[in-house]
Amino acid sequence: MISPNRVTGGLLWLVLLISCGEKVDPVAMGPTLISLEKPEYFPAQQAMPADNPLTEEGVRLGRMLFYEKKLSKDGTISCASCHQQEKGFSDGRQFSPGVNGAKGTMNSMSLANLHWQTRFFWNGRAATLEEQAIIPIEDPLEMNLSIQEAVNRLQSDAKYPTLFKEAFGSEQITSDQIGKALAQFERTLISANSKFDRWIRGEVQLTAEEELGLELFFTHPEPSIQLRGGNCGDCHLGFLTSGDPNGFTGFHNNGLDADATLKDGLKSVTGNPFDKGKFKAPGLRNIALTAPYMHDGRFTTLEEVLDHYNEHIQNSETLDVLILEASNEFLDPNQPVKLMLSDSEKKAIIAFLHTLTDQEFVTNPKFSNPFN
Amino acid sequence: MKHIAYLFLAALLIFSSCSEDEIPAQMAVEINFENTLNGNPLQLNGGSFTLPSGEQFTAKKLKYYISNVVLTDTKSGAIYTVPDSYHLIGQDINTKVDLGMIPSAGYDQITFSIGVDAEANAKTDQTGDLDPNNDMAWNWNSGYKFVVLEGEFTHKVTGERTGLILHIGRNQNYKTVTQSISGIKAGRSSSITLQTVVDQLFLDPNPLKVSELPSTTIMGGDLADKIGQNYANGFVKIK
Repeated sequence: MISPNRVTGGLLWLVLLISCGEKVDPVAMGPTLISLEKPEYFPAQQAMPADNPLTEEGVRLGRMLFYEKKLSKDGTISCASCHQQEKGFSDGRQFSPGVNGAKGTMNSMSLANLHWQTRFFWNGRAATLEEQAIIPIEDPLEMNLSIQEAVNRLQSDAKYPTLFKEAFGSEQITSDQIGKALAQFERTLISANSKFDRWIRGEVQLTAEEELGLELFFTHPEPSIQLRGGNCGDCHLGFLTSGDPNGFTGFHNNGLDADATLKDGLKSVTGNPFDKGKFKAPGLRNIALTAPYMHDGRFTTLEEVLDHYNEHIQNSETLDVLILEASNEFLDPNQPVKLMLSDSEKKAIIAFLHTLTDQEFVTNPKFSNPFN
Repeated sequence: MKHIAYLFLAALLIFSSCSEDEIPAQMAVEINFENTLNGNPLQLNGGSFTLPSGEQFTAKKLKYYISNVVLTDTKSGAIYTVPDSYHLIGQDINTKVDLGMIPSAGYDQITFSIGVDAEANAKTDQTGDLDPNNDMAWNWNSGYKFVVLEGEFTHKVTGERTGLILHIGRNQNYKTVTQSISGIKAGRSSSITLQTVVDQLFLDPNPLKVSELPSTTIMGGDLADKIGQNYANGFVKIK
């Protein structure tokens, strides 16, 4: 998973210290840089943030913080309460309970391959993982703890000052470092050993139904050339099956609501009326484990999701044009938008979605609760 | 002591090769793209634009491949072929191709292609701008879209908000363009500006009236090839 690469400065220190015959202080050497081990078919360009390089110590600390219940006001929940490994780091509920029985308004997002995503939360309000990671701590509907109080609690804990020193060089804990450590751990949550991955690597065959589903998933239909498609890959791009990482292009209005009940979504962040009703296209890795679906968790099964895209699209002023214009049959333009997949095609797409389940990922001990 | 003498010699050599009359062996060149519609800079998700057939239009996405760039100095015969030349240009994504340092010459001609050549188009297991994750691969095994324009317009007949989806690819729509360029001096860092005229997708030689189309999703077939013919000339040109 990780390839150690000592900082040159650290090496120099080592040489100096050894030559002086003194004991080596591991902290003085600085944290150990590691790199993400990703499959070669994941995008190569995505750089690590310059001010938060991935380190062994940072990831270890981030994992502890991810499972740390002290980061909630009453000490009852951690990040992992709503992002449970066995459910693809989601929680199986429509809305997640916060402290004191508070209830959120958005479905807990699954976590995987986050290094290749650029905007976080369903409405895109965080630009980086570092920024995202500390927002739920303060959110009154989630962990409801001021970030200063979070810092204080960790600072007075027996183990954390040392762990922060090892990761960031100082025992003086800052809120920035909490976000950085959490982001580092989250970047290591790489899901790349599903049946789909093994098929990409040529290790397994897909069944005929899965392969049909794959083909439909990645195809935008065009009836004039008899091209049938499920229209999924227009928003869930490439091998990651996540949204376009360029700016806000990975946000779409996918026809859940008509104008009268359309929520703001991305518009609440950009202020642009064109962005009303747009939400983040999430990555679909482990989707069979992450029900319920959509930003408001309104669908409990993948069958309902497929029925939505096929038969129940609600038109509105910002409905994505790739949905507005997608059908497998020629339709009268005055008729409602309908994809016109057959039942067996819908089933095939669901069969393909099940190939995105990565058992190794959801059981990998590196991602599990370190306090157990 | 000997080392210092060498250093001195080296410094001398470097300085002597930079005297004013000498042309440096290398020059920095970059190519910039300006996407336009109705003669104005293109804007996504806003602005006030119309299609050549008159409909109000809001663009959502414009992406295209420029590939196999060659610079020629027709006077000296010098030719520079850009290696591994596949460049994904996209409004709000990337509008620059940095060629870095290239051999000096008074280049006065540029040749490039719109789309990717048949060889690269036959495989999608590629990285960089041809990475199949970048939303330009048709599928996981069937080549690339060369030119993508997506947007919405007000339909002349139904009055409805209607999507316009142009995904043009296939080998027959790989088009090569040669244009004269001026103002490049050998040895000077230079910038070439190309203008991409979105209107041209709908104009010559095959005028397209979007409100009269049976389907406003064009991803293949005759209509796609007609748009390929349209972008062969005047779509990407020297400003």
